[in-house]
Amino acid sequence: MSGAKRSTEAQPGDAPSTSYSVDELVVSRLAAELADDDQVLNGLSSFVPVCAIELARRTHAPGLVWVAGGTGVSPSHPRMTASTFEWPLWDSALMYVDVATELWDWVADPRRFRTFFAGAAQLDAFGNANISVVGDYHRPRVRLSGTAGLADMSVLDKRIVYVVTDHDPRTLVERVDFRSGVGFLDGYGERARRGLGGGPALVVTNLAVFDFAPSSQRMRLRTVHAGHTVDDVLAATGFVPVIADDVTVTPAPTVAQVALLRDEIDPEGYRRRGFPAR
Amino acid sequence: MPDKVMTAAEAVGLIRDGDVVGLQAGPTQCAPMSLVRALVRAGRRDLHAVSLSGSMALDWLATSGALTRLTTAAVTMESYGMCRQVRRAVESGVVGFEELSETALLARLGAAARGLPFLPTRGMLGSDLLSVGNAHLAVIDDPFGGPPVVACQALRPDVALLHAHRADADGNVAVDPGPRHPMTTLLPRASDRVVVSVEEIVDADTLREHPEQTILPSFAVDAVVLAPYGAHPTSLFPRYDYDAAAFQAWVDASRDPADAEAFLASYVHGPATHDDYLALVGADRLSALTMERAS
Repeated sequence: MSGAKRSTEAQPGDAPSTSYSVDELVVSRLAAELADDDQVLNGLSSFVPVCAIELARRTHAPGLVWVAGGTGVSPSHPRMTASTFEWPLWDSALMYVDVATELWDWVADPRRFRTFFAGAAQLDAFGNANISVVGDYHRPRVRLSGTAGLADMSVLDKRIVYVVTDHDPRTLVERVDFRSGVGFLDGYGERARRGLGGGPALVVTNLAVFDFAPSSQRMRLRTVHAGHTVDDVLAATGFVPVIADDVTVTPAPTVAQVALLRDEIDPEGYRRRGFPAR
Repeated sequence: MPDKVMTAAEAVGLIRDGDVVGLQAGPTQCAPMSLVRALVRAGRRDLHAVSLSGSMALDWLATSGALTRLTTAAVTMESYGMCRQVRRAVESGVVGFEELSETALLARLGAAARGLPFLPTRGMLGSDLLSVGNAHLAVIDDPFGGPPVVACQALRPDVALLHAHRADADGNVAVDPGPRHPMTTLLPRASDRVVVSVEEIVDADTLREHPEQTILPSFAVDAVVLAPYGAHPTSLFPRYDYDAAAFQAWVDASRDPADAEAFLASYVHGPATHDDYLALVGADRLSALTMERAS
């Protein structure tokens, strides 16, 4: 892939932005998880992931192959609309793929599509995700949309990066009502004992960033977004996470990243959907 | 070769109470909405819908009381949110919900298409989808010594409903160049009877100009129904976009079950034919949805 060569010298746009919003911080943090030699696809209503994918393609990962809307490979002019599955996102693609006959075959290969961004109605301390039901499965208190591809993707040998736009104790819970997305199950190696590779790697919320502690596999607080404290984060979390010894401040997006997002990738601001109004 | 062109009312006569009905549908994309309206008007009951990621069509079927069971990977109108009428019907116990991962649903239909008792997937292992008593799923050992897999029993719909770009009177169905919706090709191969509504009916020689665009042979199709804008309010790439105002109107109406029924009275029961429906929507609105890139 012949991406534009970037100078290795520091550019003015590489400076940290001093006026960014939380959605831009989250997008920037997600973009950093995408590698130039990887492939990625986006799910439904995935405005933040789509922005992160496009930001990565336009900065450090020009070689990243994106199956936009699960349909169009590497569109040259993806256009953000109220859908992350409809044609404005993918009609400038190199190739169309068929979900039934092609896409899941490509995804089945552990060398490919190594990182996947997902959201969840509930996410628990061990990275299990619920997008199915609250309450009893057969007679639910709340019927949610359903697992779609997450019950496949989260079982495969992938890094799942969860995006939480409304970090509160109802979303981040000790134990999900239903495991639609498979995390570390009950932790302490249970996932590996079941023969499953991969798993949840990172959780990026509107307050903080977590990874998973190596032995317990419980969620571990790594960075807190500027303007919030560790105590804020703990109060908003429905379980007691592991706290890293060196909790730092989440790096700010760069001046250039913020400009790209606002001026070119998502001028209408679809990425702000789902974040609490401030 | 028999002429398979018929009205929507005649075509839904191929569907009986209690049938398993496969629906091609995305959240806002290419659902056979004209056929679904005819199905609701026909008053069918006790239907089991099968849909990869269905949306408004399922909500309308739930509202009309036609639906008692649903097999799906997701029910969503994407940024318009969860289908509220399906949600209510499931939460009140009126509609049973078989939730499958995407690969599991594709495996159940794929097994039916290939005449196999089941196909396996690696999906769902460790998830609670395997611990809710779904008798159509079973974790089995790999007979060749690898890790266990999930056997997904064949699911053979009685009828598949699709919408496509064009067909001839014999039932050869073709699509415009563009991505192929997974259900457009898999679902008919898995189903006993196939009903296709189309934007236009053409002669066979027109199909012969682009055989690479023909996706279903006549022997696989039982009924062809002429329905221009037949996917409205969903989209049909590259001909027309989804109707955002119609989606929003349905979202607003479905906040209250009585309003949802009133919406169906106006937009589904009111217009007796597809032409009446198009007149109700209005030529200006349809024209505004038409994509310039369409030839």
